[in-house]
Amino acid sequence: MQDIQYVGEHLVPGYIGQAAIMLGFSAALLAAVAYFFATQKRDKVAEANNWLRIGRWSFLVHGIAIFTLIGTMFYVMINQYYEYQYVQAHVSEDLPMKYIFSAFWEGQEGSFLLWMFWHIVLGMVLMGTAKKWEAPTLSIVSLVQVFIGSMILGVYVGFGDDPTRVGSNPMLLLRQTMDAPIFASADYVEQIAGTGLNPLLQNYWMTIHPPTLFLGFASTTIPFAYAIAALWTQDHKSWLKPGLRWSLFSGAILGTGILMGGAWAYEALSFGGYWAWDPVENMSLVPWLILIAGIHTNLVANATGQSIRSTYVFYLLTFVLIVYSTFLTRSGVLGDTSVHAFTEMGLETQLVLFNVFFLLLGAVLLGVRYSSVPTPKKEEATASKEFWMFIGSLVLLFSAALITASTSLPVYNKIMAYFDPNYIGRVITDPIPHYNKYQIWIAVFIGLLSGVSQYLRYKERNFSKYAPKFLLHSGIALGVSGGLTYLTSLWIDLQAWQYSTMLFFAWYTVVSNLDYLFSFAKSNLKMAGSVVAHGGFGLMIVGILASGLNQEVISNNPFVMEGLIEGASEEQMRKNVLLFKNSPLIMDDYRVTYVEDTVEQFTRTFTVNYQKLDSTGQVVEEFNLYPNILYDKSFTKIAASNPSTKRYLERDIFTHIASLPQVEIDMEYRQAREDSLNYKPYRAMPGETISFLDTVPIRDRDTFFVKQYEATVLGVDRSPTHPDYHKEQGDLPIGLDMKIQRLDEDSVFRIKPVLVLREQMLYSYPVQINDISTKVRLNEGIFDAVFGRELDMEYEPFTFKQGDKINYNGHEIQFAGFNKNPEHPNYEPQEDDVAVSAMVSVQGNNGQAYTAQPVYLIRGNSPFNLKDEIPELGLHFRFTGIDPKTETIELMIGQAEGVQQALPFEVATDSLRSDYIVLEAIEFPGINLFWAGTILMMLGLLMSMFFRIGQRRASLGA
Amino acid sequence: MKKIYIVAIVMVAVAIGLLTSAADDMSTYATFEDAATNGERVKIAGQLAKDKEMYYNPEEDPNYFSFYIRDAEGEERKVVLLSEKPQDFELSEQIVLTGSMKGDEFVATDMLMKCPSKYKDEEVYIKSEASKS
Repeated sequence: MQDIQYVGEHLVPGYIGQAAIMLGFSAALLAAVAYFFATQKRDKVAEANNWLRIGRWSFLVHGIAIFTLIGTMFYVMINQYYEYQYVQAHVSEDLPMKYIFSAFWEGQEGSFLLWMFWHIVLGMVLMGTAKKWEAPTLSIVSLVQVFIGSMILGVYVGFGDDPTRVGSNPMLLLRQTMDAPIFASADYVEQIAGTGLNPLLQNYWMTIHPPTLFLGFASTTIPFAYAIAALWTQDHKSWLKPGLRWSLFSGAILGTGILMGGAWAYEALSFGGYWAWDPVENMSLVPWLILIAGIHTNLVANATGQSIRSTYVFYLLTFVLIVYSTFLTRSGVLGDTSVHAFTEMGLETQLVLFNVFFLLLGAVLLGVRYSSVPTPKKEEATASKEFWMFIGSLVLLFSAALITASTSLPVYNKIMAYFDPNYIGRVITDPIPHYNKYQIWIAVFIGLLSGVSQYLRYKERNFSKYAPKFLLHSGIALGVSGGLTYLTSLWIDLQAWQYSTMLFFAWYTVVSNLDYLFSFAKSNLKMAGSVVAHGGFGLMIVGILASGLNQEVISNNPFVMEGLIEGASEEQMRKNVLLFKNSPLIMDDYRVTYVEDTVEQFTRTFTVNYQKLDSTGQVVEEFNLYPNILYDKSFTKIAASNPSTKRYLERDIFTHIASLPQVEIDMEYRQAREDSLNYKPYRAMPGETISFLDTVPIRDRDTFFVKQYEATVLGVDRSPTHPDYHKEQGDLPIGLDMKIQRLDEDSVFRIKPVLVLREQMLYSYPVQINDISTKVRLNEGIFDAVFGRELDMEYEPFTFKQGDKINYNGHEIQFAGFNKNPEHPNYEPQEDDVAVSAMVSVQGNNGQAYTAQPVYLIRGNSPFNLKDEIPELGLHFRFTGIDPKTETIELMIGQAEGVQQALPFEVATDSLRSDYIVLEAIEFPGINLFWAGTILMMLGLLMSMFFRIGQRRASLGA
Repeated sequence: MKKIYIVAIVMVAVAIGLLTSAADDMSTYATFEDAATNGERVKIAGQLAKDKEMYYNPEEDPNYFSFYIRDAEGEERKVVLLSEKPQDFELSEQIVLTGSMKGDEFVATDMLMKCPSKYKDEEVYIKSEASKS
């Protein structure tokens, strides 16, 4: 491209950002190296301290650089400098400020920065608290930062025509990343707009879920760093306590992050559930499972000195799996199997390197040091706590291995295809049953183990003496669990013995942990966290069974046409129901009615009324749900459909809009449809009824019926209302008050189509009558018909005193008095108005009595008047003056000439109905047990962590 | 031998057993012809035939959406999805369906669409830039 002097670009933030990226990367590298030597030379205190100082300063500089970069990115995003590619891709003019964070981490680069941000924060904490572990752990954290930092470098490495690009730079200008004709104009900045944040992500979950999840990701680095540091320095014991504190923290945060993802899917997206065994979900769960296994072996190691090796393995594996999951979700390899994987960005090689490097680092180091890790000579006793805790960890590892193996199928396919181009990739046909089938048994074992091993004791030497107590409590717990399982089976249908088994052991965990807390742990706070976490696990399983097995699609309309598809096995798949406005439908135990909908900006909210009926059909309960849809900016498609959920303690009712009539989805289509309607013109005098015939198509088939209609014009409305019409100053609206009926139906519809003249433009507001697929509108002829005979009208002035009566063309007209608070359709009061209306009563020559209220007002020292009329008599009144001395007023009176004309309107009888929604409604029983259980698990982890931090404080203080 | 090792060996054996049996849960991407011959539940990956009719009329049946897919062999068949018509369906490039043949139609209970995303575009820019410089 030739040199163009661009105008309107803001290049300074770009320079700052680029410098920050380079500085951040180099400083991380320097910190890793300096901390490395600080560890290596730890025997020579003076030298090590020098390295340590360099390491600290480098890490601080790294932190400042990355914070500066993040700040700069926010600066350009908030100011909407669209010349930056990242801004253009993630921000738009109409993006509310509250979503600026979401927009920041919507992109890959932003989410890498979020990850780095947390590493820096955690690194600072390590720097302040880790003491002798500071140098080796921060060396590892810095090294991780180097790898992640390389993802946003955006530099080219290599020579010749095809250099390799390393990383994707978030501070590049748009014109640096793409070639487009627009960059030929110097002021292109003026012409570009932002793409904005995907509407599906414009949601508070997108604000809180990624930071939590990435804090979870980042926190797994710390136990990893401790494990590496311990292997490196061959201090296999003293890292166990800080390692445990950090992994408890990590377990709680990562777990919360994963759950938030589930809650988001359940509450705000239309997935209809909280977990779908999607590869992206699986690969965030797997590291968590391994981390929990590591926490258990770590506890064993602290208590008995056993299982140090496996603790190493688990902590090393946790981080490697976090990187592996990053690779899976960001490399595009999952493309065909996952709903929410990123597509490729050219970072695959770097991600693989990242993964392989840390896998090898852990594996090699562990291999080299393996034999130096101390293990007690004596094997753990079969009846000891540590033995069964270890088995439990193996079960978790087993679970993780199964999930990883199945989820990695696309990777396996890719590798096989690399060696054998003819290899045909394999795929899991139905993922959800596949995963459930195995994980049921994992849950059974974990349930059993977390009950049993709670009662057992560390380093058991004399089980025979303890056995009676153990057996008594286990027996009671088993019995109580059996009872609870029976009670639960009355509430939920368990369907298969496998599920009953799973439920039984879930209750067993809950019962035995509670029993343990009260009978054994008593005052021992140390165990409370464990009891809460394991009890939570049991409750979670009960919740999963209740909400999963017995979730019921209540929007399953039994009247929907049968036999369209052979075989009824898919019947349960039919989850949508058609709901016409104001036509209640019985769905399961509910009478459901689509009541109304309102549009605000791009959001359309539907009111869906639920009435719960008892067996006699009486309404026992009533509530409304408000699912909404979000249109895209052009109103041509639905960008997002947000469900609405009624929450009870023991169940949820979930509702979402699955679809709408095409005319309600796409306003362009609606216009085209409106234009293609077959309108026919008719005329009628006020009060007259006309009848006509029209052919009616039978729903998109080639058959037509001839139907008879009757239409009555009741009158003209000069200030009509219409749901879509918003009055503006200077409007001249006309509405026609009408009745219409299709004679093969009983219903008569009262309608008021409106036509508005606004600044030389006509705006039509037709009325759709869905029940008879008919649409009525007015055409411009109505203006001639209404105003035409007033054109030549002449006014005559009259002077009235209050009570005066005159005769005008046979009508008796009396000025009855003033109204100081005039009401007139065209009058909108303003401050400082002096307004009054004359109350005019008329005895018409037709024998009827009428009133009119013309208005006289002074606004800004100028007099105005607003006329009023009696259309039936053709009489028009203007109130033109007041004489305070004589207490008289001046009224101008005129009568329209000629006969009243017939009023024109147009009717289309082929306007298919569009007043329905396609609704999906699901009942989830017991889902709150799931949420409560998971929250307790996280709480238990946090309690354990705080207890141990407190312990450390106490020991340091002592 | 330590008990732990025995437990571990049993677990590994069970894992291998399970993963072998899990082969039944897996299949390769089928073609319409495969699906017609074996009659089983399969996954089909294909392209949307954009010139053929797409039919969704919720008033008739809100759980019936039909369209045409061209499979890997280039064969075009009618597909019935027992669900609503998803948003942006017309934009999808690659479609993965799970279901089975019923007569001449492929009845799908699950569908995954791959739509062009903005990341895709970025990738294109970047590639063109890399080859240029």
